Amino acid sequence: MKDRFIINPILKKEMMVGSRSMKMSWAIMAISAILTAIVVFVLLITNLTSSYNGYSYDSLIVLFPVLGCTECGLLSLMIPVITSASISGEREKQTLDIMLTTPMSPMAIVKGKLMSAMMIVMMYMIASIPVMSIAFVLGGLSWWNLIGLFIMLIYLGIYVGSVGIFCSSVVKKSIAATILTIVIGIGIIVGTVLIYSIGVSAVTAYSLASGNILTTDHYVLALIFLLNPYSPIFDFMLRAMSDSSIYEMLGLNNSIILDIIYRFWIPISMAINLFISYGFLKLAAGKLNSGAVKNKKRNKNKSKIIQDNNN
Amino acid sequence: MLDIQNLTKRYGNFLAVNNLNLHIDKGEIFGFVGPNGAGKTTTMKIVCGLLRASGGSVTVDGIDAINNPDDIKRKVGYVPDFFGVYDNLKVMEYMEFFGSMYGMKKDDVDNISDGLLELVNLSDKKDVFVDTLSRGMKQRLCVARALIHNPELLVLDEPNSGLDPRARFEMKEVLKNLGAMGKTIIISSHILPELSEMCTSIGIMEHGHLVTSGHVDDVMNSGNGGMKLHIRLVDTKDSKDCKYEDGKPEEGRLEDGRSEDGRPEKDRLEESRSEDDRPGKEELQRILTEQPNVRKVQMTEDEILVSFNGDEAESAVLLKNLILQGYAVSGFYKEKEDLETLFLEITGNHGGSNE
Repeated sequence: MKDRFIINPILKKEMMVGSRSMKMSWAIMAISAILTAIVVFVLLITNLTSSYNGYSYDSLIVLFPVLGCTECGLLSLMIPVITSASISGEREKQTLDIMLTTPMSPMAIVKGKLMSAMMIVMMYMIASIPVMSIAFVLGGLSWWNLIGLFIMLIYLGIYVGSVGIFCSSVVKKSIAATILTIVIGIGIIVGTVLIYSIGVSAVTAYSLASGNILTTDHYVLALIFLLNPYSPIFDFMLRAMSDSSIYEMLGLNNSIILDIIYRFWIPISMAINLFISYGFLKLAAGKLNSGAVKNKKRNKNKSKIIQDNNN
Repeated sequence: MLDIQNLTKRYGNFLAVNNLNLHIDKGEIFGFVGPNGAGKTTTMKIVCGLLRASGGSVTVDGIDAINNPDDIKRKVGYVPDFFGVYDNLKVMEYMEFFGSMYGMKKDDVDNISDGLLELVNLSDKKDVFVDTLSRGMKQRLCVARALIHNPELLVLDEPNSGLDPRARFEMKEVLKNLGAMGKTIIISSHILPELSEMCTSIGIMEHGHLVTSGHVDDVMNSGNGGMKLHIRLVDTKDSKDCKYEDGKPEEGRLEDGRSEDGRPEKDRLEESRSEDDRPGKEELQRILTEQPNVRKVQMTEDEILVSFNGDEAESAVLLKNLILQGYAVSGFYKEKEDLETLFLEITGNHGGSNE
């Protein structure tokens, strides 16, 4: 059966069920309240610091990255809660077996679950627009920044959602899947930083011991951050706030390939992480699959052997 | 309709299904009986494409279930033992959701759902939220859901578990109706009397083996004890009372056990009996034991229980012989076959390990 991308039955059902639940309304209210509180807090701080020198609107430029990062952080915590129950919840309600007896492929089921999570992310994004508009008016936010932020949030939603769905398919209990998703997320962030730090320390120690200064290794080691799903968001925020970037931060180097990678850090890192997300979805679908495909291959091989023997 | 050949399913070292062979014809209602862990659910899940087999083949309506799981899913409807509900989803929306999962159009789903909900007696619950239905209703809704794509084969895994007697009765009626419609049904249950009532054939599984299978009556008669006959004589407390003096029905004796003069037959026999010609229980037991096909005779206070290996015609010969011997038989009937007894008898005799 063809995967349903446009009207996936699971997406339709999840939206119907979700819209009748109070959970979504409470979550939207919570997000709006937190973002509003941050705006008020930032305005308060800038107002206090402007007592002697007059109000500086320039300082309000910080509003956009602060709001953007807060929204990313909130989604990073909320999406695991939404997606980690997607498969394990069906398993707990004992509806998963029923779903799997339909001709919908496990991948289509997983995609439906991800799409419904993304719809919720979009609702949160839309709900945050009024608060973000304050940054738009006061903080020098451009349309491109706003669109860029939304693209980043969708990208982050896909990544964290895929990890959540994978954990949900592996772990039986929803709560355990939520914790595992957050642990994997933190593990990736901390892991990349740790690998980079250990690498830099090792290179520095080697340089000091041997007397050779290895400058290129520093740039090569920083490539590990391409695997960090938050690095494109970090780069985007740098660009939006200060016209800087990871490329600018690291400085020029004499390798053309590294130069290209650092210049196009955002699309390259996003592409790599979206590919990893697809891998997580494939793994989740494979976990759901009863193994019919493997069996099919095995039986085909077996019948081939039998045919060969007969011949 | 369903053909299973040498089906094997292994979980590590545990052999859940061991070389299972089974054939179910179109239109049959097949009852799967077996203790917990016998391999019934595993077999059913393999048939539905939910589990992959370790070996063997499963064919549904000529299609290889193992190599063509997607095609099989269109031919099979599955009702699990536990009905899960979606919060905030109405009955009709539930049907539409599953209809759309089969790629059906909304109008088609609505039309089919109307008929199916009527079949399971839930027509008046279309706009009710699923989670507010009773367990029996949910289970019937699950049957309707499993029929949304008009499957050839309906697989029900203990659909009556946890249902109250009324809900069980209603479910039984639904399944009988489906059987009358010509649907092929596989049903597993622990409520054996109900299973024997509605199934056309049954199979008893234990330790992954199919111990016996076939038409309900054939399986019933295949038990170790054979047919059980209950024989009542006019007074079995003292069987000598019930034998006619000359060993033949006496003239003037009426069928209702009264003599022509209106006195009870027992009284008349008491008077006419002499001390010498009174056969005892031992003699009756000996006579019965000597009859062909009689395996065992048990004398109880009220009746005689005979374990009989013969068929209906041979049991009639036994009755005839008893009468010819001069016994006044007031009751002679075959015990209603009890699947529960047979099940216990069979599963009690088959031990062994699956390791």
